[in-house]
Amino acid sequence: MLPATQIAPHRHATGLLPVPEKTSRALTDRLGRKYADRITGCIHIPGREGSYAPFPDDLPAALAAALQARGITRLYSHQAQAWAATQRGENTVVVTPTASGKTLCYTLPVVAAAMQKKAKALYLFPTKALAQDQVAELLELNAAGNLGVRANTFDGDTPGDARQAIRLHGDIVVSNPDMLHQGILPHHTKWAQFFENLQYVVIDEIHTYRGVFGSHLANVLRRLKRVCAFYGANPQFILCSATIGNPKEHAEAVIEAPVTAITQSGAPTGDKSVLLWNPPVVNPDLGLRASARSQSNRIARLAIKAGLKTLVFAQSRTMVEVLTKYLKDVFDHDPRKPARIRAYRGGYLPTERRAAERDMRAGRIDGIVSTSALELGVDIGSLDVVVLNGYPGSIAGTWQRLGRAGRRQQPSLGVLVASSDPLDQYLVRHPEFFEGAPPEHARLHADQPLILLDHIRCAAFELPFLRGETFGPVDATPYLELLAETDVLHYEGERWEWIADSYPANAVGLRSVADGNFVVVDRSEGKQVIIAEVDYSAAALTLYEGAIHMVQSVPYQVEKLDWDGRKAFVTRTHVDYYTDAIDYTRLKVLERFDGAIAGQGSTHHGEVHVVRRVSGYKKIRYYTHENIGYGPVTLPDQELHTTAVWWQLPSAVLDVAFPSRQDALDGFLGAAYALHIVASVSVMAEARDLQKAVGSGDGAWFASSDGRGRGQLRGGDGKPMDPAAPEQFIPTVYLYDAYPGGIGLSEPLYLRRADLLQRARDLLQACDCPAGCPACVGPVLASDEKSTHPPKHLAARVLSLLEGTGSGSLMGSDAHA
Amino acid sequence: MPDVLEKLRRLRQDAGVAAPARATARAPAVDEPARDAFAPPKPRPEVPEHIRRLLGIRAKATAPRPVAAPRVQATDRHVPGEEIAPGLHYTEEHVPWHDTPPVLDAAFAKLGPIQRERLLHFDTETTGLAGGTGTRAFMIGAADWRDGGLRLRQLTITTMAAEAGMLRTFAGWLPPGTALVSYNGKCYDAPLLNTRYRLARQPSPLTGLLHLDLLHPARRRWKGRWENCRLGTLERRVLDIVREDDLPGSEAPRAWLDYLRGGSARDLRRVAEHNAQDLRSLAGLCLHLASLEP
Repeated sequence: MLPATQIAPHRHATGLLPVPEKTSRALTDRLGRKYADRITGCIHIPGREGSYAPFPDDLPAALAAALQARGITRLYSHQAQAWAATQRGENTVVVTPTASGKTLCYTLPVVAAAMQKKAKALYLFPTKALAQDQVAELLELNAAGNLGVRANTFDGDTPGDARQAIRLHGDIVVSNPDMLHQGILPHHTKWAQFFENLQYVVIDEIHTYRGVFGSHLANVLRRLKRVCAFYGANPQFILCSATIGNPKEHAEAVIEAPVTAITQSGAPTGDKSVLLWNPPVVNPDLGLRASARSQSNRIARLAIKAGLKTLVFAQSRTMVEVLTKYLKDVFDHDPRKPARIRAYRGGYLPTERRAAERDMRAGRIDGIVSTSALELGVDIGSLDVVVLNGYPGSIAGTWQRLGRAGRRQQPSLGVLVASSDPLDQYLVRHPEFFEGAPPEHARLHADQPLILLDHIRCAAFELPFLRGETFGPVDATPYLELLAETDVLHYEGERWEWIADSYPANAVGLRSVADGNFVVVDRSEGKQVIIAEVDYSAAALTLYEGAIHMVQSVPYQVEKLDWDGRKAFVTRTHVDYYTDAIDYTRLKVLERFDGAIAGQGSTHHGEVHVVRRVSGYKKIRYYTHENIGYGPVTLPDQELHTTAVWWQLPSAVLDVAFPSRQDALDGFLGAAYALHIVASVSVMAEARDLQKAVGSGDGAWFASSDGRGRGQLRGGDGKPMDPAAPEQFIPTVYLYDAYPGGIGLSEPLYLRRADLLQRARDLLQACDCPAGCPACVGPVLASDEKSTHPPKHLAARVLSLLEGTGSGSLMGSDAHA
Repeated sequence: MPDVLEKLRRLRQDAGVAAPARATARAPAVDEPARDAFAPPKPRPEVPEHIRRLLGIRAKATAPRPVAAPRVQATDRHVPGEEIAPGLHYTEEHVPWHDTPPVLDAAFAKLGPIQRERLLHFDTETTGLAGGTGTRAFMIGAADWRDGGLRLRQLTITTMAAEAGMLRTFAGWLPPGTALVSYNGKCYDAPLLNTRYRLARQPSPLTGLLHLDLLHPARRRWKGRWENCRLGTLERRVLDIVREDDLPGSEAPRAWLDYLRGGSARDLRRVAEHNAQDLRSLAGLCLHLASLEP
């Protein structure tokens, strides 16, 4: 239980309290003086006074009293707006930063309706942890005002004997989309009373519902509305989102109804400084810079020593553990004292995560190292300094993480430390890009046919379809006919009835992650203790035999991996190194569905086989980071059968158009980059749902960017090879659906192939950069900016050869290059 | 996702056969104007050609048609009993049964004495075991003590539409004060029927009735004594009943679906016989349990 002052920031919102001495401002100044050469950009965001509103007149008195007992005497303006909008009966989306009191925006209408009308509410959170936070908060409010409102989580962890009571008596049921999909909707008759009285559906963190996951959620909501209609209910939606470029549009895409957007936060903020930090050059000859890790470590150390609560975001679980170890070596060397540093990431057991969250909220922790797991609204209290070890990959994600810093009206500091990744390097070289870039748009594609088919199948199980019934805006008939052909449905008397003996929701996963978590079992000294869980997608990269697997920076060595049994057996070890997997992706065409001439080459649409393989691992010594050895890995390949669209040019054409095979290869990599950008926009795909690759048409070799705008050829075994070596040289650009069986992206791309090439070329032409940048063909080395054959021109030449607009001279660029 | 792969395999075959003549003419779905007004959700006229191909759906002929049309119509289509409503068949049989006590001692189920006439033994045959809203009962059998014997009544539906009538008829068999007797009915048959009543928008007649589920008392008494505590095992061990030509319960869904699709009624009649035997065994087991020393 926490003192109310910590949960209710309003208390100090007026800023009348003296500012404590330990603020990040001094640190910001100090870093600026001492490391001016490493700071490539500094963004100051001035603080803002809060904007307030009194409790609305129509707020129930008991609820107002409960708020007052919790130290809340007035609302932020956006909370009052949300109240007004929901009372007008409008679907509402609230888009305000982390820790701006979003929760009250839906708590007030929901609790008021539960008190006054016995109305029910369903909350959906993307993770169980967030759901538990929410219920704890509701229970505290309920207790403070003796409101008589029952709130419960309902998820996979809910015991069987509690479920019946929750179904019948819960006022607020807090769950997740997966549970709604597999556990609630297929049993809706047991929830009849709940659905009959369902007034509000609250969906938090809707920015996480993008791409495949978002498309699934939109269909689950179509099913929810269908079931509600059966019980005569038409619930109102209250949605919350972190900052994205298109909150209203995205909210409307999720629920397929008009939504009122509230985007102006009334919460006060302190001054915020964001530093863009480029590690110093350590080897000028090779242009090598110090690692981001060393810099993040240093900044975090300085901040913690200055008494500032600090959070470091790392991109991978391994990096979380490495950074935790470094900080623990400094701050936690005395085992008799409570730990000041903690790691937080997916893969820890839920109890351990809850303990970490509690310690952080209570202020017992000085430094936290986390993956994106803390990007969502897990309540950990507020912090002074956030360090990003590497660019998170999106502008929206960066601001979400930076938003973790900032207590009341005190100044806060965010530092983005660039890694050697080209996109990172581009950003720190062009701070204006970062400052001015709008946050990305969230997109989903609810009518993706295979996802649609899955959910129409689930919906038909829940309630029969009537002839001519639509599912969302889609005419369900052809899908129902297909299901009838496979004896899942039976058409009789204008109704499609479910007749199969199966439970379709169990065969449909919303997050499209492959099955089965791995458990990590500690066998040290004859024990058999589960110490961690690792999800399927991360297992191959972290649990191979020989891997050093760290939990709270304690190293364990994987001795045996039982792939089929989903178990890794580890023992405690004391080595002075950690391990890093070596992996690569290979692609092979299985079948051509369709093909056409593309300029001087060809384009196809078909089925491909994608293989991701972990071929070995490196042992890397702590602190020196020298590579002290390799180990082999024999694991099943991660395979994916999917659909793709691809373009290729024959050797003869390339020999004429390019000075060397290397140049042609670089051109293909650049063209792939540009095509991927325009294709993602064109089919409204999440970039991660559509992937790109460059390889040989016959699968003999594949190419990857070396991270400096130049390509590296690798043979089927993953070993680097010379571009001149292969007999056949038919470079091919692939765009493929990163989804088993394809998610229907590549065929529309094939149909719009001419348009795509045109748009990719337009993209290059319109880009102001001279030689290439992350906005067109990918980042390039500074030295390439003066090259006679910069990657951008090579890419343009590939595109124009495929368009058939000539020999490759375009943009007039070759003339003056 | 083998399911999806299967579709893609079909798609590959289709690609050679039916060239998408209209695919190029028709803009793909992504080009369609954004859904501006949400107001009346306009049904999309049809699925775009390329999506039809992806799903392996052949060109649409005309408006909705019953796809699962009778394949081959079998000659043996006789479902016993009287068709009391379209698709709803009713059978009744009287099994003479002597020496039944007028009052049963239900102490074995931790209950007091119960009048014989209040007992209604019931058992359903269903389209599967998956549970949830997609499983239905196509046959409800009930047995009660009447006129010096056991009255066996069965309702069988041969169309989906007859379900509402079956549920209404069964509700009429359950006056207040009825004591239900079942084998695992508390966990299986009763929740399943409650779901069906809810979907048919009828009040469930099972709510509030006394329910003796013999599974639990049977387990308490015989667990570990025989290979298992299934009804079939107990009737053999306790009641010395041997079934001949019994259709296993797991075959019931197939038997009914075959008939629904125009197949032979032979196995459906065997399901009815199986169900009737279950009811006789249930009644016998109930008497036996009541007669045992606690």
